[in-house]
Amino acid sequence: MNDARPGGSILIVDDEAASPLVSAVRRGLEKEGWRTVVVEPEEGWRSGEDFEAAALYAIEESRPDGVLLDVRFGDHRDDLFKGLDILRKIVTEHPKLPVLMFTQYTQGPDRETAVRSTLRWDAPVDFIDKLASPEEVVLRLRRLIGTAPEVIRVGARITLNVSTKTVEVAGTLMSEISGMRFEILRELAVAWYRSPGQLVPFATLERYSEGEDARASLRVRVREIKDALGKALGERLGAGDLIINVRDQGYRLVPKD
Amino acid sequence: MGSRPLRVAAAVLVVAGALGVVLSPLLGETVSEESLWGVEPLAYVGGLLLIAGLAVLTASYALPGVLPGMFGKGGTASGGPAHTPERWSEITQQYFEVFHHDLGRPLSRIVGKERELRAVLEARSGTIDPAVADLLDEIERQGPNFRLMMSNLQVLIQLEAGPAPGRDDAVEPAEVVRKIVERYNAVAGEMGKQITWWSEPAEFGIVYSDGSAIEHIVTNLVDNAVRFAGAQVEVKLTQNPTHFFVRVWDDGQGIPAHYLQHLFDRGWTPESARRDEKVSSGLGLFIAQTLAGRQRGELTVESVTAPDPDHHTGFLLSLPLGSPAGAPSA
Ligand SMILES: Nc1ncnc2c1ncn2[C@@H]1O[C@H](COP(=O)(O)OP(=O)(O)OP(=O)(O)O)[C@@H](O)[C@H]1O
Ligand SMILES: [Mg+2]
Repeated sequence: MNDARPGGSILIVDDEAASPLVSAVRRGLEKEGWRTVVVEPEEGWRSGEDFEAAALYAIEESRPDGVLLDVRFGDHRDDLFKGLDILRKIVTEHPKLPVLMFTQYTQGPDRETAVRSTLRWDAPVDFIDKLASPEEVVLRLRRLIGTAPEVIRVGARITLNVSTKTVEVAGTLMSEISGMRFEILRELAVAWYRSPGQLVPFATLERYSEGEDARASLRVRVREIKDALGKALGERLGAGDLIINVRDQGYRLVPKD
Repeated sequence: MGSRPLRVAAAVLVVAGALGVVLSPLLGETVSEESLWGVEPLAYVGGLLLIAGLAVLTASYALPGVLPGMFGKGGTASGGPAHTPERWSEITQQYFEVFHHDLGRPLSRIVGKERELRAVLEARSGTIDPAVADLLDEIERQGPNFRLMMSNLQVLIQLEAGPAPGRDDAVEPAEVVRKIVERYNAVAGEMGKQITWWSEPAEFGIVYSDGSAIEHIVTNLVDNAVRFAGAQVEVKLTQNPTHFFVRVWDDGQGIPAHYLQHLFDRGWTPESARRDEKVSSGLGLFIAQTLAGRQRGELTVESVTAPDPDHHTGFLLSLPLGSPAGAPSA
């Protein structure tokens, strides 16, 4: 059904699309279920101009969910920042299309600020260092494209369906995790999906607890969730597994594969 | 444009020189066994070529235009009136930008090939031998290290170029922190450590500040924390009516009280205090604190050392919430 990312596609516009760095990113995207479409240089292309035309054409043609765009095309001086021109064109013609732009290696923030100030403030554009790990690129694109999935896979065997408010472990429906317990797990899963290191502070979770001692009630609910999931997974989930309390600040998810 | 052939030629000299030095034991002939000069001439020639090549390469970056005619945008800074310090720092900055870029290239090759190798090994046998994976991880870990070092140098050059006013762009601190945590997640994971971050309130909103300065400061703090943590690193964002705060905390061994007073000194590391061999540059915290000051904020530290069971180190960055450019600040 509606998986973490159902058949969406990403257009990659980079004159070094075959380089190991870009291939690693492609593999990462495809592993996550994205299709990738690559604008590759053809015989006879002289410069960034050709790339620009080809990129805009490919957007019309393949209607991607997002674009991964390099800043630099070739070694010709005029083309060093050709990507910025292409970016501006894309933003003008397709103002809602998310674009993640590679900045060159280690030179980043100042140029980003400069470019950003020339774009509409709400343009869905973000920048990332070309050396970023493939996981980082995937996460960034995922967030930029922004549609929260209806189904979140937590590790290899747990699936959360946000629209039907149900949890499955290896295909079996967990009736124990409903109501407040489901809401707690959903908060944790959504935060984790958006940003794997993110904790959900007690202040946010306390609305899913009751009684005088909100923390204690929350603790009980989290224990119940872990017991139910642990039983279905056939393992005991200890304090350091799956849902952890970080120094009494809140909870976060740490799924294992 | 015109400087390119020159640089290529210089690079060829460097490579030839290095080859000469390396191959001299195999190819060269020893002139005289007795004298101090009894080494292969090839090694000398190689060494000279190496030095000459490096010199030309450095000059081509550092002094564009000083050798007019030889360099593309020749004449930008050539001859004529004496260079003012500002002019020089501008040249240094330009030089560094280009240099930066060219340094990024081999790094991207190395990291790219390492990722390719990982993919090939995985495709071949399904899994990677843990010992090999460790080696690959080690290469991968050097990526963020190198990037941080380069950007520290770049910021240092900007700082040396003289006082610049703070900025007040609209910045989402939660987004800045999120990105930094994502960048360091893999590195921390490989070391068996965990980074957790959050903001209070959860919807943290916008501040008016210098996004790249915040990014730079917090990156340095997280880089240190990941390096020194036992198992946990925390990054927490909070605010009050006038300021916002980023606290970077780790459960490491802590920093002894007598070191704390030097911590933010330029170039200081405990090794330099003990006169041991330095393992890092000691620039990060100096730069971080200087940048914080520029934004009318501060960076402070608090630490409890082992054997106290609560041993940890916490850095607190506080910066004004600011106001949109042009508006009078409160
Ligand atoms: N979180 C920490 N826990 C323990 N010691 C720390 C921590 N942060 C910094 N230090 C100590 O302070 C010293 C100076 O830190 P600083 O970031 O300025 O330089 P560095 O990390 O040594 O080098 P670099 O320039 O690469 O950042 C470090 O060498 C380390 O000994
Ligand atoms: Mg440091």
